[in-house]
Amino acid sequence: MFEQLLFQGLVGLSLAMYLWLVSAGLTLIFGVLGVLNFAHGSLYMLGAYFGYSAVRVLGVSFWVGLAVAPLLVALVGGFIERFFIRRVYHIDVAYQLLLTFAFILIFADLVKWYWGPIYQSAPVPAGLSGALPILGRPFPVYNLFVMALGPLAALGLWLLLEKTWWGRTVRAAAGDREMAGAIGVNVPQLFTGVFMFGSWLGAVGGALGIPIRTVSPGMAEDYIIQAFAVAVIGGLGNLKGAFIGSVLIGLVNAYGHLYAPVFELAFMYILMAAILILRPQGIFGTSQ
Amino acid sequence: MGKHSRFNRREFLGAMAAAGGGMLAAGLVRPGEIRAAKPSGKPVKIGHQCVLSGVLGGYGQFMQMGATLAAEEINAAGGILGRPLEFEFRDSQVKPAVAVKNARYFVDKYGADFHAGIDSSGVALAVGKIMPQLKKILMVTHGATEKYNEQLVYKEGNKYLFRISVPVYQDGIASAMIAKDFPVKRWANIGPKYEYGYTSWQMFKDTLKKFRPDVEFVEESWAPFGTTDFGPHISKVMAANPEGIFTTEWAGEAVALVKQAKLFGVFGKIKEWVNPMGGAMDVLEGLGKDYPEGLWVSSRYWFLYPPTNINESFVQRFHKRWGRYPHYSSETSYSAYWALKQASELAGSTETEKVIKALEGMTMISPAGRRWFRKEDHQAVYEVPWGRTKADPKYPFRILGDLRAVPAELYYRHPPFDA
Amino acid sequence: MRALQWILGLGLAIVLLGVPLTGERFYVYLAIQILVLSLFATGFNLLFGYTGLLSFGHAAFYASGAYATGLLLMHARLSLLPSVLGGALFAAALGLVVGFFCVRRTRIYFSMLTLAFGMMVYALAFDWRSVTGGDDGLIGIPRSPLWLPGLGALQMTALSAYYYFVLVMTAAGVWLVRRVVYSPFGLVLQGIRENENRASFAGIPVRRYRLAAFVTSCLISGLAGAMVAPLENTVAPTAAHWTKSAEPVLATLLGGIHSFAGPLVGALLFYLLQELIEQVTEYWLLWFGVVLLALVLGFRGGVVGYFQHHVLPALRRRLS
Repeated sequence: MFEQLLFQGLVGLSLAMYLWLVSAGLTLIFGVLGVLNFAHGSLYMLGAYFGYSAVRVLGVSFWVGLAVAPLLVALVGGFIERFFIRRVYHIDVAYQLLLTFAFILIFADLVKWYWGPIYQSAPVPAGLSGALPILGRPFPVYNLFVMALGPLAALGLWLLLEKTWWGRTVRAAAGDREMAGAIGVNVPQLFTGVFMFGSWLGAVGGALGIPIRTVSPGMAEDYIIQAFAVAVIGGLGNLKGAFIGSVLIGLVNAYGHLYAPVFELAFMYILMAAILILRPQGIFGTSQ
Repeated sequence: MGKHSRFNRREFLGAMAAAGGGMLAAGLVRPGEIRAAKPSGKPVKIGHQCVLSGVLGGYGQFMQMGATLAAEEINAAGGILGRPLEFEFRDSQVKPAVAVKNARYFVDKYGADFHAGIDSSGVALAVGKIMPQLKKILMVTHGATEKYNEQLVYKEGNKYLFRISVPVYQDGIASAMIAKDFPVKRWANIGPKYEYGYTSWQMFKDTLKKFRPDVEFVEESWAPFGTTDFGPHISKVMAANPEGIFTTEWAGEAVALVKQAKLFGVFGKIKEWVNPMGGAMDVLEGLGKDYPEGLWVSSRYWFLYPPTNINESFVQRFHKRWGRYPHYSSETSYSAYWALKQASELAGSTETEKVIKALEGMTMISPAGRRWFRKEDHQAVYEVPWGRTKADPKYPFRILGDLRAVPAELYYRHPPFDA
Repeated sequence: MRALQWILGLGLAIVLLGVPLTGERFYVYLAIQILVLSLFATGFNLLFGYTGLLSFGHAAFYASGAYATGLLLMHARLSLLPSVLGGALFAAALGLVVGFFCVRRTRIYFSMLTLAFGMMVYALAFDWRSVTGGDDGLIGIPRSPLWLPGLGALQMTALSAYYYFVLVMTAAGVWLVRRVVYSPFGLVLQGIRENENRASFAGIPVRRYRLAAFVTSCLISGLAGAMVAPLENTVAPTAAHWTKSAEPVLATLLGGIHSFAGPLVGALLFYLLQELIEQVTEYWLLWFGVVLLALVLGFRGGVVGYFQHHVLPALRRRLS
């Protein structure tokens, strides 16, 4: 009984880490650029599709696909930021949302046009197809891999933002755009770089998912709402909060199935609303 | 001509010629008939709607393939009552509001004589309810809810509705009749969290209990539409130590579920896995060699059953035209158009009232076998195979081995549909 | 200029009244849908254009109006008008509860909160099967007769008859919003939109005004949804999904956020664009996205805005 609870919790954690990997980029982009990027769902989807093509069409291994696909998506992200998003920084947030929403529509059809409307699936890579006995039951190696990647990514992000020159510059520009520009930082270029990095992160999440999930032109819409929920719960723009937020959603998801499956669909939204009403700065944010 | 298919006019005409040749070979048409063919006059129009976007977008495309092939062959054989057959596809987006609009567009603007298609059960019911206002026949080719034939046609007397594909009886009742012989006493369910999932599990439990009062249903887990991570469901269900798992997950979700269940070691632990939609072409192809062998699956049509000339020839022509094997939605759409042709020619007209009379009780020979439309509820009756997934060197996907077909009269429900 | 306005108004009235006379049943159906969306968008824009609050969950109120009306027609067996009004009132009541929480936040937090509540309603519609019918939804909603004192029961089975009913109700709803917008209350709302702090320093209870705008907006959106239930004879959970919430946003943007006529014009354009694109290609999402992109980048005032700022001055110059 207790083992079952613990096991379910582990399942929830692997869900959580996947969600974290997918949403980290969204949170970073909002924190630095102030843009809530609907198109993040599409970039996630492109990462998955490029990874799928690498494996199914070009025949390379999953690992090569995982390495290369997100780089291509980063380029796409850079293009979008440079030629579209850059134009709307200074106008109402509503228009930014609508602009990025336009990209969800456009990419959904572009993907459908190129890869077709039928969902696709890639085989599970040999290295990740086994299971380890945990608490007396088989727990997939793939899930363990994702659970390891999550904290690693978190650590990597923290190191990047706290300890490197680039990271410090990014944080400065996020805090005060004008001041950063005044002291000589090329803010537009920096922003493009951040957007590309965030897109890269989202695409890694997408490519990471192909062994066990299917890819379809509709996948952006599903994931973007979850990523929004994570971003909100953690505090918009707060990476530490996003990490905890993912864990919360993952666990609520896993345990909700056991105890209150009737409300399952609404859980995430209830949590989202509760945080927004009670503590809009999120779990770790500071009040403004 | 299908405006919403990507398939252009030149391909269509070229294919018509090929279709003519193909049908000669199939013995469907005598040589003299083809030469006399060229249909002329006011076209007979079919409005066809299905899901063409989103996660289920492929299912709409399967329908387009079957419909296009049928139209090409029908026109090569002289059309319907000598008139050319035209069709148009629209995206229902799995939204009843959009589907209702599309149905009205087809009848009021496009001038459709017949309406075909529909993937989702909810959409089938919503559109079904307005067909009496539009006074045209709806021939459903996928949506499986039993409320369509039992409630709308039989109980409410809505005579405009027909369905050529097998309803949820196949998923919930036939499955239990296969499962009753398994040495399994503890069953669990992982199902989609909407009507189709609930209904099929309930039917499975009710039917199985009649044959095997000794079985227990130890756990169930419901996955909302769009679930990509089945970990929590698999974990919950396996904690109850079931011997058999019944699941009505379909399409992409079935693929994700099987992959993840495999990683969780489910197939090493349970004795039987029963998935009524696990034999659909998209699931077989999606899983490829990752599909464990020995799982009990079925589909609303499976391309290697029945082993008749008609079916083999159809599969060959389909493969030549589209480069893939026919999905069940392709076969049902294909046969739907042939059914409408047959009924119109029996009636001598495309007038709705006359075609309805012709369809009632009509028997047709289709790739899926012998089909006949019941008078009481306008539901087509035909046999569908069950089998164990099995590797086969001829194909890059699993096929169905140990084929068994439960006779339709045994698992179809019959009027008055009570209890 | 006044003469021009009168001529346009008269022309519009003639066109609106004459739609059913064309005899094209599908166009009458589309026209009803356009009227409904224009009402939905007008209600939405009261909150967005005038009060400065972008809601991503307005479909929840549209759907609530639809479900409530559907249930009243199916089970309480009321006639058309009380059912429709009942649906609108239910949506307003829901708006009061939801709005109470939402108006505590602004900007992106407000938008995310409305998104969350909207999807909660969607989840409820999906899961509360005994009441809402689950994913099948309400099937077979009757288009009950319109009972008017003195006239008795007027049959609504003919689409043309129902069209006139919707036309009258839409006109009433639009007129109501217009009264609100051009009243002192409406001016205060715009003041709050421009500068919340200044308004509150002037002694205005900002939150209460916002809540009032929110509830009114939900009443109107609920009325729009209520009229759709007897039209389509069905209501499904997808009516509450966030992708439905995007429709009044897109329509308003197309037409123009900063004008009263914007949402009305935008609703017409939205449907025309959609039908036009769908008849030509199956990739309508792509073209819609492109149009949206163009609007945000270059035509933020929408069609009406463009007309007011570019076409009208050019016309005036020509004429003077």
